[in-house]
Amino acid sequence: MTRRPGLRRIALGLIAAASCLTLPASAHHSFAMFDSSQVRTITGQVVQFRWSNPHVALFVQEEGTTGRAGVWAIELTSPGNLRRLGWSRTTLEPRDQVTVQMNPMRDGRQGGGFREVTLLETGETFTARLIDIERN
Amino acid sequence: MRTGLIAIIAAATLSTTATAQDWDAISMPRPAPEEWAAIAELPDLSGTWSPDIRDQFAQMDTNPPNWLPHVQEQVDYLYAEEEAGRPKGLFIDCLPHGSPSLMAVTHNAIEFLVTPGRVTVLGESDGNRIRRIWTDGRDMPEDPDPSFDGYSVGYWNDGVLVVETAAILPQVYLAISEAVGIPNNGGMTVSERIHLLEPDLLAVDMVIDAPEILAEPYETRRLFHRRRQRSHEIEQGVCRRGDFIETEDEWGNAAWAPATHDGMGNLLPDDLLELLGDEE
Repeated sequence: MTRRPGLRRIALGLIAAASCLTLPASAHHSFAMFDSSQVRTITGQVVQFRWSNPHVALFVQEEGTTGRAGVWAIELTSPGNLRRLGWSRTTLEPRDQVTVQMNPMRDGRQGGGFREVTLLETGETFTARLIDIERN
Repeated sequence: MRTGLIAIIAAATLSTTATAQDWDAISMPRPAPEEWAAIAELPDLSGTWSPDIRDQFAQMDTNPPNWLPHVQEQVDYLYAEEEAGRPKGLFIDCLPHGSPSLMAVTHNAIEFLVTPGRVTVLGESDGNRIRRIWTDGRDMPEDPDPSFDGYSVGYWNDGVLVVETAAILPQVYLAISEAVGIPNNGGMTVSERIHLLEPDLLAVDMVIDAPEILAEPYETRRLFHRRRQRSHEIEQGVCRRGDFIETEDEWGNAAWAPATHDGMGNLLPDDLLELLGDEE
């Protein structure tokens, strides 16, 4: 008997689809594929906050869109570095309403390098600059 | 003639025996209590050490290696590619950084384990980021097997850990960033002086000799900041986890599904696209 995919599996599929379109580089890499001269701000709902090495990824469904075409994949640094900056794996949860600033990908794909997130419900803001670790 | 043959066989036997004895020699004896006690007199390297990222970038700009001319052309190309938004991912294959890049370009924390006769450097970014520095007085072996981090012998001198490293695989990069680096092509050695500048500031002074790619040995320093808070503890970071995504197997067990990547390391999990298609 073939087991039908559960909700979790469907969600993973959605994430995977978004990843296919937009998630840059899975491992240690330069962030030069992101255009640091541009800042793109989106508001939307967290689809998944992927607390995983080597780089954490945040998937956000942009407000006013449906389906994977409206999902942005935003890349952050490693879980260890984020923890040193005050984050945890539950800092962001699915369905959280957020505003995210990112440096968009140069090639136009729907992804970016993370700059800042604000949780709309609490007003909390998180950044992830590695140079700030020295100050924490 | 028979006597001569016996002599040859005897010599060969002796030679073989000598080699076997070398490999059978005890190189990691049980430390004596006073050896453990002596560690307390060494500089304290405990805690988590995070690299000074700002300083890493400053070194790239103000103190670049003096590459051989034909290598400089490659370096210029890599810089141009990065500038154009096409960075070469030196480490996206998840192979170890290797020496000296683990100390020079890592963006993750490291820690030191000081035990009798050895200092072990553990990198956060992967289980393979481990350096063993033998401080038991041994000499550099004559012909150690090449490895990513090479073979390291060291000693303590007036609060400075002095380390010599050789036998680094020729494919290991001399990297100055995660996008700019050249394979050392063989013969690279690294001399290090690891010491505290301030109670929580560590300097790693390096002289990197890579005769196949450098016009002269490259002298550079890397800085690390110590933190002791729980939030700074080293985490297990498995690089290859980025090559997989979470799924379920045919029995409903939690499982990994391999992801595929394009040339830049971007995830391309075509297999799960099919899964999504089932539901649409």
